[in-house]
Amino acid sequence: MLFLASRQWSRGKRHGTFALSKANKMKTKQTIAIIGATGNMGSAISQSLAKGNYRLLLHAPHEDKLTTLVHTIKAAHPSAEVESIDCSKQASWEADIIILAVPYAAEKEVADKIREVANQKIVISIANPLNATYNGLVTDATTSAAEELQKLLPNATVIKAFNTTYAADFAQPVIDGKQVDAFVAGNNEDALQTVSDLVATAGFNPIVAGDLSVSRTLEGMQLLLIQLTMKYNYNWVAGWKVLHN
Amino acid sequence: MYSAYFDNFTKKVPLTPEERELIQSHLSVKKIRKKQYLLQEGDVCKSIAFVEKGMLREYSLDEQGGEHIIQFASEGWFISDMYSFITAEPATYNIDAIEDSELVMISRSSHDYLLTNCPKYETFTLQLITGAYLAMQKRLNSTIAASLESRYESFMALYPHIAQRVPQHMIASYIGLTPETLSRVRRRIASNKG
Ligand SMILES: NC(=O)c1ccc[n+]([C@@H]2O[C@H](COP(=O)([O-])OP(=O)(O)OC[C@H]3O[C@@H](n4cnc5c(N)ncnc54)[C@H](OP(=O)(O)O)[C@@H]3O)[C@@H](O)[C@H]2O)c1
Repeated sequence: MLFLASRQWSRGKRHGTFALSKANKMKTKQTIAIIGATGNMGSAISQSLAKGNYRLLLHAPHEDKLTTLVHTIKAAHPSAEVESIDCSKQASWEADIIILAVPYAAEKEVADKIREVANQKIVISIANPLNATYNGLVTDATTSAAEELQKLLPNATVIKAFNTTYAADFAQPVIDGKQVDAFVAGNNEDALQTVSDLVATAGFNPIVAGDLSVSRTLEGMQLLLIQLTMKYNYNWVAGWKVLHN
Repeated sequence: MYSAYFDNFTKKVPLTPEERELIQSHLSVKKIRKKQYLLQEGDVCKSIAFVEKGMLREYSLDEQGGEHIIQFASEGWFISDMYSFITAEPATYNIDAIEDSELVMISRSSHDYLLTNCPKYETFTLQLITGAYLAMQKRLNSTIAASLESRYESFMALYPHIAQRVPQHMIASYIGLTPETLSRVRRRIASNKG
């Protein structure tokens, strides 16, 4: 567990925290497409959002893995509306919200496929553009994975979220008695609220950190967390918690 | 994906390629399956939907759970809870799909942006609202003044394509009759003709 002093955040414009009880109160079921659903993060996110009032469309390249995942989710949440779909464009076309849970290097390929149907929709960037040895990022300091995705999908509303939480944290969003914080960044208030609701449904404490360019910091925070995890052997269950009054 | 939307648009107001591109960048496309909700009463209606393909209906629920259909929308029609869309107050209507459908949606912020920045969009919107107003007056008059037979017959004459695609109980709900009364009305019409 990592603690971060709140001083450096206290001047932030929006330091919104949303209690778990405020998680999505919308009656109309929103459809979420999860691209790369069978990966570490994709399956963790899918399983934890299956608790909420969402309809999940899961897509990944290998159908056998997808079928297993859908069975696992339905066994744990019999009333969940979840199905696999063999085309990322179809999934995104039906979706209100799209989560890209693919490796950073695959984002361009996926963006090319879904561009037309992602117009004006929320697209969640969870990527950390790590280099092969985990000692740096492949993006330069003037940009971030989220901002690069926004360039690839100019008419979508890209929101950064879920990048500072490990896949294993989803099964355990409370570590050492404290609910892990999860930062959300983006340029559209409505979309930030919607994504904060998702984060709360997954069991984390959402904190709106700022506009999309704040993703540079958020992606850097995960780089640091990974380095600390390896150095101090946190066993990939670790997260950030802002201490404040 | 957007072809029916822009056919409908340019029939009323011609567009340059640049204007079309600007408008399209503010639209989103969504598929919805039969029986899924686009909007449930109590939520804020965040967009206006245009039907490219398929059919939706908009209805209110009374205290006994009875459905009162205020609108059907098939290809080429718009549907939304306008009061909720404009005021951001909770919707009083439900909108769901009667068939698998493909929609073109516009959000409140995009709608406002285009109204201010694209005069052709404003003209188009004005024409839509005028048309909807006229249709509403006609429907109101038919509901308060016309005989049951002529209410049914004018629905069948105005919307033959809808009548073919929706169950009788929904037609009954739309014209404000119970399904039993509607069957009696249809029998009376049939025997008068026969
Ligand atoms: N792991 C974490 O704890 C963690 C934490 C925060 C953020 N993230 C970020 O989350 C993202 C996913 O990481 P991960 O660890 O979950 O990776 P992962 O386990 O390798 O999963 C990647 C997923 O994407 C699919 N995929 C790969 N290429 C694809 C393509 N071109 N089109 C469609 N699907 C494709 C994979 O399918 P197949 O396996 O069948 O090829 C798999 O389902 C990365 O951007 C990472 O930076 C990870």
